Amino acid sequence: MTRFSIIFLMGLMAFALRALPQLCFAGRRFPEAWDRWLRYVSYSVICSIIAVTLFMSGARFESAAAPRRALALAVAVAVARRSQSAVSGMIAGALLLSALTWIF
Amino acid sequence: MSFFARFRQGMRAAIPIWIAFVPSSIAWGIAAQRRGLSLDEILLLSAWVYSGPAQFAVLGPLAENKPAVQVLIAGFLMNLRFLPMSTALAPFFRGVKRLPLLASAHVVSASSFIVPYVQFQKERDGRPGNIAAPHDGYGNLVFFLGVGVTSFIVWVAGSGAGFGLALGFPAAFDEALKFILPGYFAGLLVVEMKSRGMALVCLGGLLTALPGALANPDWGWLIAALAVATLVWGMEQRG
Repeated sequence: MTRFSIIFLMGLMAFALRALPQLCFAGRRFPEAWDRWLRYVSYSVICSIIAVTLFMSGARFESAAAPRRALALAVAVAVARRSQSAVSGMIAGALLLSALTWIF
Repeated sequence: MSFFARFRQGMRAAIPIWIAFVPSSIAWGIAAQRRGLSLDEILLLSAWVYSGPAQFAVLGPLAENKPAVQVLIAGFLMNLRFLPMSTALAPFFRGVKRLPLLASAHVVSASSFIVPYVQFQKERDGRPGNIAAPHDGYGNLVFFLGVGVTSFIVWVAGSGAGFGLALGFPAAFDEALKFILPGYFAGLLVVEMKSRGMALVCLGGLLTALPGALANPDWGWLIAALAVATLVWGMEQRG
């Protein structure tokens, strides 16, 4: 299957999830417990992808780059939390990572 | 209120969303270009899927030509959150015909859900008896489109701009560019983190992903993420 076909199918599935409630569930409430589970799945998958994107290359753990990337992630999280700004965290982490990559 | 006035009202309410979408869409465009996606693919993903977290989730598997089923399941799981959002909006579009409802459903996103939802609730609460007037459906839909369509345009344009920006960076910045999207999402999560359950889920997802991916590079991280979310949710349900 080509990338275009995969993206097309993914878009169709996203559209179905957006449109179905408009057509079928008008006036009904979504159960609170299910809502919470769906949110937890999103958070967990995002964190999982953050870890895989930063520390894995295919099936291999990138042990040489892992310490500086972990440090950059920790700094990004701390700055974002303190400033309440995801962009500030991202910039701080990216700058630190650039500096560490250049030095070592 | 006329169609245009209501649409403009929605546009004004969407300005904070545009401001938030500019850096995230540019970050997405940069990351996608660096992972080898073409401009066509980036724009198609942004315009047709239109979901930042899902686009982030599938970027790696898509760029590495992983099995289509894996990409689709990862995207589907991330987009499941549209179900409760769209369900919550549905009662405010009472009386609107199916075709306009279907057409407008495409611009439902986390941000374009929250702003209209809060606005509609505020307007309903201001009415005697808290009852939504039957003719409000179209007015609400126009407000929603003012928020959703303009935010959508900013998202797609930002993705294209990110692609262009990434082309201008020298290879020495590759490491930092690869960090931009995961760093941004980590920041978003930590800014939004309000409950102990969410913190547990995030930490669990982060820590179990690597053992999961090492055990099975295609599915391990995804199964680990699902298991962590379900476990914390189950513990909360039991009290």
